[in-house]
Amino acid sequence: MKQENIRNFSIIAHIDHGKSTLADRILELTGAITEREKQDQLLDNMDIERERGITIKLNAARLNYNYKNQDYIMHLIDTPGHVDFSYEVSRSLAACEGAVLVVDAAQGIEAQTLANVYLALENDLTIIPVINKIDLPNADIPKVKKELVETLGFSENEIILTSAKTGEGVKELIEAIIERVPAPTGNKDDSLRALVFDSYFDSYKGVVALVRIKDGKLKLKDKIKFMATNATYEITELGFNNPKPQNTNILECGEVGYICASIKSISDIKVGDTITLENNPAKESLPGYKPMRPMVFCGLYPVETNKYPDLRDALEKLKLNDAALEFEPETSEALGFGFRCGFLGLLHMEIIEERLEREFNINHIATSPSVIYKITKTDNEVIYIDSPAKMPDRQKIKIIEEPYIKTNIYVPSEYIGSIMELCQNKRGTYISMEYLSQTRVNIHYELPLSEIVYNFFDKLKSSTKGYASFDYDLIGYKPSDLVKMDVLLNGEVVDALSLIVHKDFAYNRGKAIVYKLKEIIPRQLFEVPIQAVIGSKVIARTDIKAMRKNVLAKCYGGDITRKRKLLEKQKEGKKRMKMVGKVEVPSEAFLAVLNIDEEK
Amino acid sequence: MSIYIHIPFCSSICTYCDFCKLLKNEKWINEYLDALTQEIQEKYNKEKVKTIYIGGGTPSSLSLENLKKLFNILKIFNLDNQCEITFETNSEDLTIEKINFLKKHINRLSIGIQTFDKNIIKTLNRKLNIDNVKLAFKNFDNINIDLMYGFQNQSIENLKQDLKKIIKLNPKHISAYCLILEPNTKLYIDNYNPVDDDKERQMYDLIVETLKENNYIQYELSNFSKKGYKSKHNLTYWNNNNYYGFGLGASGYINNVRYENTRSLNKYLKGNYIKEKHELSLKENVQNEFILGLRKLEGINKDKFYKKYKFNIKDIEPVKKLLSQNLLIENKENIYINPKYLYISNEILLNFI
Repeated sequence: MKQENIRNFSIIAHIDHGKSTLADRILELTGAITEREKQDQLLDNMDIERERGITIKLNAARLNYNYKNQDYIMHLIDTPGHVDFSYEVSRSLAACEGAVLVVDAAQGIEAQTLANVYLALENDLTIIPVINKIDLPNADIPKVKKELVETLGFSENEIILTSAKTGEGVKELIEAIIERVPAPTGNKDDSLRALVFDSYFDSYKGVVALVRIKDGKLKLKDKIKFMATNATYEITELGFNNPKPQNTNILECGEVGYICASIKSISDIKVGDTITLENNPAKESLPGYKPMRPMVFCGLYPVETNKYPDLRDALEKLKLNDAALEFEPETSEALGFGFRCGFLGLLHMEIIEERLEREFNINHIATSPSVIYKITKTDNEVIYIDSPAKMPDRQKIKIIEEPYIKTNIYVPSEYIGSIMELCQNKRGTYISMEYLSQTRVNIHYELPLSEIVYNFFDKLKSSTKGYASFDYDLIGYKPSDLVKMDVLLNGEVVDALSLIVHKDFAYNRGKAIVYKLKEIIPRQLFEVPIQAVIGSKVIARTDIKAMRKNVLAKCYGGDITRKRKLLEKQKEGKKRMKMVGKVEVPSEAFLAVLNIDEEK
Repeated sequence: MSIYIHIPFCSSICTYCDFCKLLKNEKWINEYLDALTQEIQEKYNKEKVKTIYIGGGTPSSLSLENLKKLFNILKIFNLDNQCEITFETNSEDLTIEKINFLKKHINRLSIGIQTFDKNIIKTLNRKLNIDNVKLAFKNFDNINIDLMYGFQNQSIENLKQDLKKIIKLNPKHISAYCLILEPNTKLYIDNYNPVDDDKERQMYDLIVETLKENNYIQYELSNFSKKGYKSKHNLTYWNNNNYYGFGLGASGYINNVRYENTRSLNKYLKGNYIKEKHELSLKENVQNEFILGLRKLEGINKDKFYKKYKFNIKDIEPVKKLLSQNLLIENKENIYINPKYLYISNEILLNFI
């Protein structure tokens, strides 16, 4: 294909604004899929993605379109919508020349709309603004147009109106992409430079990398080199998704596709890396490779201790699809051998956990998430800790600092009060507020990241009936009056339940945690006291009463078979329990701190 | 050998019952008794019979004529002189005619009273004829009364009243069961709310205490008797011994095989009696020994265990562990559950699963 007839674009949007549905319509209209193959949200491969209606992993599809008697190929690169995955968004944008910005006709601009626009601008992309869901009864097209013009500086005649549901406006959009998005600019005669913008593990092919050819071309059997790691391989398979995988012998300058090269070692491939040819290497790698930094950490432990190697294998495989995931071995007195894992955010953590359960069938326990604290010791040594267990003695600490963020909270103005109340309760400092329109505002607060990790999203949603959207930037470390709080079960410290908390909040949180644990931990044969302590000072206590009843009632003649089944079922339930000292603790107890309500 | 015979017919259906039961119908009863005869003749191997239990359903709901037919069938059995023959009844069926007839054929009567509270009786869709009950007590020595507790909003005071009335009747044997909501029962569908665990336990403790004060010996989790009046038939189950089960939905345990009969009347009448058969492994057998045997307050006899399985009960790992935790207790002959933990015995049994 001639380079000038190639168009590479992404669709960017706030979560739920109809990005994946619009992608499906484009696939349909370009004939990439037939009516019969239609399965909602084709580009979302993972079950979790379809169920939750979110896109986590990137995906790239090639489309063919004839416009004004010219054949075009277009590569559509899907992007995740959640703030946790903005690194993936920026990688996929780096593979494109254009971005379709989708805004919901009823919701208007939201936090991630803006975040995504900034990412697209950073990557120098041509942006095509689209107002989607115009078929909705509560669509307010003039209002959203005004937001796009006033907030983001588009001109009104650039805006395309679509309904991904009915298909209206989609053809016009495709043609606008051809008209407005520039063709790839790379030089086909230069030495090869291909950007790796995603990778995943396929149990048959090994590592598969998604690439965009920036300069030169890539052929089957070429010997390639990854410029960041210097690893070399021979290309065993080349292809593109149409949207099903199709083999090809060559990927040319400007094209997007996948490569396989019998890559077994997961550490050899890094998203953002540049591929070149071993015998004709490019002088410089493409800009853009920066390692992602996890912001949220937690311990992951197998429920059954002998599953530790399985957990390690699973994490290694997940890491392959998910460069942002980090993990290192960790030991807990209560939980045994496990891993300290780092995630981009809470959603990322939830998704990894869910995939461990579903794809690898590993029953595991997650401990409360933590951020990275910066501690200056009395001898002026500075250390960073990602776990309460690594906290030095109180006497040895001079200053504790914690990461702070600055928020963009987009919300209808009637909720300003609730947002301010929420942020104050989360130790926030008010910075400023902008009116996007007469009824919508963007509120800026400075907040400790640890408070975001700790049930902020749920509170935000519940205090604004789901209308608020939220995004943040890290702004650095600030000193805080923090203490380590331990939880004792039956008189013994359970290290996996320890957490770092602000002194002013310790009492309420301690109380909430012990009551939550009382709710979660079933009654045992004996009474179990639960205490929250700071140092040696007990700040909250409650008791789990001894079990009063667990008995097979009537047991005559034929009942024995049924009774056995009942016992077997109970036994199955015990598998989710971890013995901590003499106490059986359900795995969800270790995340109790996330789900507590201090106002209770 | 012990024999259980199931009579699935009832005059009305109790709202909590999930047993195998049918509203009665003369034509079916006739055909049923014929099929029952067939089944017994096919399976029974002339063993000496030490206990018979005729349960239901409501066996007493049968007409006098059908009762005659039923007891004619029992002539097939080779009865031991001391054979305990129990017959389950509801009070409304205990007319003088039926009592006089039953007297000639059985030596143990079980009366389902459940409660004396008129409102609860109505909720359970049951009846109570106290005159008939008194008549039965004039004619039988060995009577069991079924008591139920744990009804929605039932007070401790209410249970005390039931206990008082039962004790006044002075039956030789009392079975006391907490109401359980089983799926597919009317109560379950109506979202009935039984009492919570704490209240239930309080009720159980009250029953155990009160009956003890009145000279009843608790010999099983839910069963109490005057001295010398334990249910021999039910001890067969709890001792994990063999028994035949005849009739619709009945189950039996013969030659290391546990079987369960069909609950479909059609299939049964056509002679397809058995729904499921399962030969037990040694492990399952030993597990059953614990699940059943530890229901008895005296527990499991160590010698008998050895004779049955050819190894020492104390060589079993969970037994060692539970003894060391004082959850199980050992005396000269037996190993039994620490009575403190009887009502949470599943926690102990789970160690064997």
